[in-house]
Amino acid sequence: MEKFVFFGGKGGVGKTTVSSAYALKCANADQQTLVVSTDPAHSTSDVFDQQFDDDPRPVDGVDNLHAMEIDPDEEVEEHLMETKRALGDQVSPALVNEIDRQIEMAHQTPGAYESALFDRFVDVMRDSDDYDRVVFDTSPTGGTLRLLSLPEFLQGWIDRLLAKRQQSVKLFERAAIGNQEPRRMLDGDPIIARLQARKELFEYAEETLREQASFFLVLNPDTLSIRETERAVAGLSEYDLAVEGLVVNRLTPAPDDDEQGRGARYLRDRVATEQDRLATIRSRFEVPLVAAIETRVAEVRGDLLREVAAELDVSVAPDATASD
Amino acid sequence: MTLADRIDRFRAVLDEWLRGLYHGMISHPAYEKIEQEAEDVMDTFMLACFPDAFGIPSPVSYYTAELLPYLDDEFEAWERRMWDRGSVLERKGHQYHF
Repeated sequence: MEKFVFFGGKGGVGKTTVSSAYALKCANADQQTLVVSTDPAHSTSDVFDQQFDDDPRPVDGVDNLHAMEIDPDEEVEEHLMETKRALGDQVSPALVNEIDRQIEMAHQTPGAYESALFDRFVDVMRDSDDYDRVVFDTSPTGGTLRLLSLPEFLQGWIDRLLAKRQQSVKLFERAAIGNQEPRRMLDGDPIIARLQARKELFEYAEETLREQASFFLVLNPDTLSIRETERAVAGLSEYDLAVEGLVVNRLTPAPDDDEQGRGARYLRDRVATEQDRLATIRSRFEVPLVAAIETRVAEVRGDLLREVAAELDVSVAPDATASD
Repeated sequence: MTLADRIDRFRAVLDEWLRGLYHGMISHPAYEKIEQEAEDVMDTFMLACFPDAFGIPSPVSYYTAELLPYLDDEFEAWERRMWDRGSVLERKGHQYHF
């Protein structure tokens, strides 16, 4: 099992429950564990009945377990302020307004939210020396996939920018006549330095995701969820990120044999359909099914979470390969 | 003043004139061309960074915004150059001194 474990899947399938349960399992196995929620609709706080924020905080009553909830809006705001501060230091007051507008605009584009989330992601991964295991409870499939595909996409883009900038600065250097100072110089060019730093960040992210991360997909036994999971597996493998296991959540419990009431008949029918779907999942996916969790009557918290954790057949040992 | 001194002085003046002539006729236009080429490449760079200045949405403007403080003079000059440019020929035409 790798250090970074991601749980993804369609909205509302119980990713938070499963990832919290898994984090609990790791913590109980004496591993310093951090559970990170990246879903804008945070529910980690509900599962542990405790408020979390952007900084890791110990979970009450559980040793070795910390939790945090990433807030991209805060990150966007911070990035905006930082950029503006640099603007104030660099630019003559006459120009500030003009450029200010451009900066504000950039922070309102749809991509800003994702970029901020991605930055926080990478930050968390970089600052994770204190933990043996970091569990990410990610936002629904589409968003996560886009997020994970960012490094590759951005690397290509930044390479192009860097090349253009360098080419242009080199030409400026060459154009400087005699001893005249060139208009731009390669040494100490802040743009090149920035781009280089970004490039390193993306490279780090890509390498870490490829080499130190495991992905699990959570799904419910219904057709929609199965289809979406199929697409997610295909999407992830497109980025060379292998899904290590599937967790089926919300299975209907079977009634006792002697029960013949209407409720029992309904449940029996449902169980039969779901068993069919489970069989489909087993045969259609190459990815192993690591857990099948029955639906609970109450909200999954506290002791129930422990029960769910026990049902997860996912190894917690740091370097062993995933069990199936 | 000896003859040798006068020859030296004459050679110095000639040297300066020749260098000036060479600079004016050959090297200066060449430098100008290189500089314009540099500006053109910079324009492409800026367009890749801030397409939203022209109404083309950019998925990465969040990242490029942090470059803006260091691109102040370039940003304005670039915007002006982009709006003013009537055609490719117009700007390329500047490179030739007829």
